[in-house]
Amino acid sequence: MKPFFALALAAASTAASAQTPATNPMPDGSRDMYAGLGAVSRPRYEGADSQKVSALPVLQVQWSNGIFISGMSAGMHLSNRPTVEYGPLLTVHPNRDESGTGRIVDGVGVSTSPLHFARTGNRLDGMEDVSTRLEGGFFFNYYLAPEWRLTSSVLFGSGNDRDGARMELGVQRLAVQLAPQHTLSFNAGATVVNADYNRAYFGVTGQESWQSGNPPYRPGGGIKDVRAGVRWNWALSPSWMLVTNVQATRLVGSVRNSPLVERPTNVSVSAAFAYRF
Amino acid sequence: MMRRAHLTACVTLLLTAGMAVAQPRAGEWVNYRDAYRAMVLFDKYGGPKNLLHNHLQVLARDKGALQPGAQLLMKGKTVQTGLALDPLGRAVLPLLKAAYDENAVLTLSRPLVGFTVRPRVSLALRADGSYEVADLRAACEQALGFARYADNSARGRQCTGVRLVFPKEGEAPGVRVRAGGAEQALAPARGAAFAGDADDDFPVVTYRFGAQPAGQIVTYNAPLAIVPLFE
Repeated sequence: MKPFFALALAAASTAASAQTPATNPMPDGSRDMYAGLGAVSRPRYEGADSQKVSALPVLQVQWSNGIFISGMSAGMHLSNRPTVEYGPLLTVHPNRDESGTGRIVDGVGVSTSPLHFARTGNRLDGMEDVSTRLEGGFFFNYYLAPEWRLTSSVLFGSGNDRDGARMELGVQRLAVQLAPQHTLSFNAGATVVNADYNRAYFGVTGQESWQSGNPPYRPGGGIKDVRAGVRWNWALSPSWMLVTNVQATRLVGSVRNSPLVERPTNVSVSAAFAYRF
Repeated sequence: MMRRAHLTACVTLLLTAGMAVAQPRAGEWVNYRDAYRAMVLFDKYGGPKNLLHNHLQVLARDKGALQPGAQLLMKGKTVQTGLALDPLGRAVLPLLKAAYDENAVLTLSRPLVGFTVRPRVSLALRADGSYEVADLRAACEQALGFARYADNSARGRQCTGVRLVFPKEGEAPGVRVRAGGAEQALAPARGAAFAGDADDDFPVVTYRFGAQPAGQIVTYNAPLAIVPLFE
């Protein structure tokens, strides 16, 4: 019964990690949808020392044909086995400009409106903006047991030149029930990227160096970050849920030494009310 | 400033709406969709399962809190029905598109603070109370096949026997094994019907499969359930 509570309501992270909800068999023609609104405190951009607080719309929809939208991701479950999940995956990678990581999408249409912006020596001043990109790829998840899930996804197309690629690997402990209607889920993982990805988001070209004052930097590929998080779902009623998420991410490898990185460890905290339709 | 005001208004509206909705109290309900999701696995399983039953079991947080005669009520906009619970707290959950689409709620006819539900697979009962050991073994293998389909951690397990669960009230369970012309009574004990159940006070009789493939298990009073044992 534990998979009951394996709701994968999205909570935004700065890196917009690919989100794949657990497969959800349902009657033909049906759908299961959560929509809501909350707030998120997250770093201004990956590696920033300052935080910003934004509105956080939440949307997760799954249809009986296997198609899902979850956070900033959309995909399709193709497996008909309950212990394996795989299929195509699309994710929106948010843009980044001088103000930081831009509009993020948590499900369909998550937009953020910065309420607080601590600006102390902005290292993004003079850096070329990185546009929003639609990444395409696939996901593969494997259940060691109903409450333990190994997750993976590979996505291509990030960065201004659309040549960035990233692979996310993770493990999730789903649905530890604290009390009736209260569940905790834990996750940990790492992101591996190619050099083009790192250069797009953490590199400094000669031109940018001249404009921004940051020293030139040309990172390689490899492990970009490791992360751990916990999510608390509180089912307030049969239709309403409070979703709280805390995620810590540490930049590692060549990315950590980027002149854009003010602080290698970032924490995102979000809370949102969601209604189940 | 306008953005901040707009955001505050949205959050306030959501909070108000969320708290104002009149719903059953926490711990007294389960979403039909979540129950459906767990139960439909058995329905979709393509392996042999003709010797098995699949039930939804209500598990009270407190031992003994589930009173005899309780019903599981399914309430949606148009779907309203009561499902009789057996003494083990089990019911057959109908898989209804209407109830799913209406996000129906499962509650108990006698409110219970703190319960959850679980899918439970057991072996089909026979009206004559007599079971060939080979049939029990085959049914246990079917249950193991389903467990392996639904749970990768069951892949290393084997069928080792069956547990016959009897009502708490009434005569003591009588179970005998007939093999090779001899007959032997199996000793009853007290225990839980299913692994993880809080109520561990049911009369149970455990039969472990041995090397002998032939034989018969005869029950002299009807069990509530025959549960496959994996180790």
